[in-house]
Amino acid sequence: MSARRGIAGWVWVSPWLIGAAAFLFIPVILSLYYSFTDYPMLEPPLWAGVSNYARMLEDPTFWLVTKNTAIYVAVSVPLCTILALVLAAVMAGRSRFDRLLQAAVFIPTLVPLIAAAMLWLWMFNGELGLVNRALGLIGIDGPSWLTDRAWVMPALIIMSLWGVGQSVVIYIAALQDVPRQMYEAAKLDGMTAPRRFWHVTLPMLSPVILFNVITLTINAVQVFAIPFVMFRQVDGQNPAGYFYSMYLYDNAFQYGQMGYACAMAWVQLLVIVALTLVMFAASKRLVYYRAA
Amino acid sequence: MSRRAVLGALAAGGVGFALFGPRGGRARYPGKIVLDYWEKWTQHEGAAMQRVVDAFNASQSRIHVRYIVTSAIGQKAMIAIAGGSPPDVIGLYAFDIPPYAESRAILPLDELAPRFGVTLERYKAGLRPIMTHDVSGSPERFWGIVNTAGTVAMYYRRDLLREIGRDPDQPPRTIAELDECHRLLTKVSSAGEIERVGFLHCEPGWWNWLWPASFGGRVYDPASRKATIDSPACLAAYQWMQSYPRALGARRVGEFFDRFRTSIFSPRNSFMAGQVAMHVQGPWMANMIGQFGPGTDYGVCPVPTVSGTDEASPVGLIDTDVLVIPRGARNPEASMEFIAFTQRPDMVKQLAQDHCKINPLIEPDEEFERTHRNRGIRVHNAIASSSGAFVAPPTRAWRQYRDAVDSSVQRMWRLESEAAVELPRLNQQAQGFIDRSVDEHRRRHGLALGAASGAGDRGRA
Repeated sequence: MSARRGIAGWVWVSPWLIGAAAFLFIPVILSLYYSFTDYPMLEPPLWAGVSNYARMLEDPTFWLVTKNTAIYVAVSVPLCTILALVLAAVMAGRSRFDRLLQAAVFIPTLVPLIAAAMLWLWMFNGELGLVNRALGLIGIDGPSWLTDRAWVMPALIIMSLWGVGQSVVIYIAALQDVPRQMYEAAKLDGMTAPRRFWHVTLPMLSPVILFNVITLTINAVQVFAIPFVMFRQVDGQNPAGYFYSMYLYDNAFQYGQMGYACAMAWVQLLVIVALTLVMFAASKRLVYYRAA
Repeated sequence: MSRRAVLGALAAGGVGFALFGPRGGRARYPGKIVLDYWEKWTQHEGAAMQRVVDAFNASQSRIHVRYIVTSAIGQKAMIAIAGGSPPDVIGLYAFDIPPYAESRAILPLDELAPRFGVTLERYKAGLRPIMTHDVSGSPERFWGIVNTAGTVAMYYRRDLLREIGRDPDQPPRTIAELDECHRLLTKVSSAGEIERVGFLHCEPGWWNWLWPASFGGRVYDPASRKATIDSPACLAAYQWMQSYPRALGARRVGEFFDRFRTSIFSPRNSFMAGQVAMHVQGPWMANMIGQFGPGTDYGVCPVPTVSGTDEASPVGLIDTDVLVIPRGARNPEASMEFIAFTQRPDMVKQLAQDHCKINPLIEPDEEFERTHRNRGIRVHNAIASSSGAFVAPPTRAWRQYRDAVDSSVQRMWRLESEAAVELPRLNQQAQGFIDRSVDEHRRRHGLALGAASGAGDRGRA
């Protein structure tokens, strides 16, 4: 009976197993092999040893996109986290106005990325964009956000805040879970609101913050669609808006260098794993897990 | 209902779907060879090609062609061929020929095409280098058929030239004249904002590697397989390009460009809106003018050069679309029969008229030119037959090289980098791309790429 049940179990999960094997496990293993080959796709892969990995060291474009991506991750992740926390703290109430604000913050995350990018393309237009018009009202001569190398990254980081709603919803849910009596006790001890936030709210939210920071980091390292739409114009790619995943895509599908692209993908994966491990290691000291 | 009954019903449904479910589109044409033709064109260009396909389908009972619009066609065709499931005919860009030919991802047409009456000699001289490519260890050179062709020329606003007191029938022929017209046409407000410019290199920005040709330079030497974008002629060209933002202010030019950077296919197109009086474009510009600015009073002339336009051999880029038969195509003979039909003079002219492009065939053009919607079609035609015409560099590294040029030109255009500094760096980078592709070819096939030579390579950039 148990053997039959075992077989039935395997049969039920077999669609997933077959799908995962065909579209995930086998491609992942093949990509590792391809990363050690010259593979233009139109011809069979040719063994190249570690040359694809060595090539990264002397490829100036690789270092450009790595630098751009690192800056983007280093600034956008903390900024999104802080903004999401502040918004969640402000909107955690149960009034009708708070609900309205929560909806307003969350709705942008439902807009498809390409549509959002097209919208921001116009918002950041140096001559006609709303952003510069608004800055003009307070006497500031806005920059050419989309073309000026110095302002491309700030524009993209501002845009990344557009998707902060998802984190806000998670933080609001976590805030509902903080025991009220802890705030009452802190109040009785004479703590001010900022200190209560620092000493009560933050520690209680820390597991959720860890989760959000990890997912934000993974997404930020792989940023692709928005800069692809905004900074790949008819006159070519704006170097200041060129990111790791975009260069990886170009190598795979534009330049016929799938081997190099696979090597880049594996480096990207290892970087993400390393960052995640570092965050988990840091969490041992910084994250407070409430006893069940 | 028991679990067994549910499983049985699901299994029966699956088997029934497999046996009696919808069939592929090919089943709709029993007894016919069904060919899938992937093409990039949509809207009026797609409709024009569909008319050619319809005419073919109506002309005979043995083959049926399905026109399938495919975006990012270079990438998707590559994946389909690599996956062993290609279409029967693909409409690629001219610059796709070298990588596809060197990889043998497309079939050589040296024997197949002449059997259907399609020979290189039927095409204008400037187009032949696009259809051929030397591949090491192979006598085959003929890889694709030019489907539609355009040449790049300068479009100018006749009304604006008149406004500055210049005869609109005498457009600029030299770089110095172009500079002078630009200076007279440019308007800057009292607040320092640019209201109109005479000429802008970055508009539309599709051919950032074009400018060296006006100074007698080329960005690639096919004989030695060397990048030559740091040559004195190229340096002069990009220094000339930088003189424009230097005079107007890079930031001001950037702001001015921002006004219409997403508006090229709209009535806000800078040329039709009168904000840029002269720019480079292909013959299809007349279609855009007809659609978005029907009243625009425009003229067409070859892109000026330092020494002045030579009427007998104007300088200009040839940009084309090509039809190829991919490796693994099920019925190459039928594919070639369809391609040959598209190359009938009446079909070629019909498609060229609809796309507002030149006639790629070498034959008298009086009627074609007289009825063409582009009033400058004679100029475009002359460039295609000119010894001064050139095409994209025949190297599989070109795509990467071109992207690097675009990035460098953006830096130079914004004056973030001087041409004298940028070009040697770019040349070194481009040479790395070329060397890598040559080395990989050598390691893969055990042979160096055949030296590009012969009449077919004349005019390559």
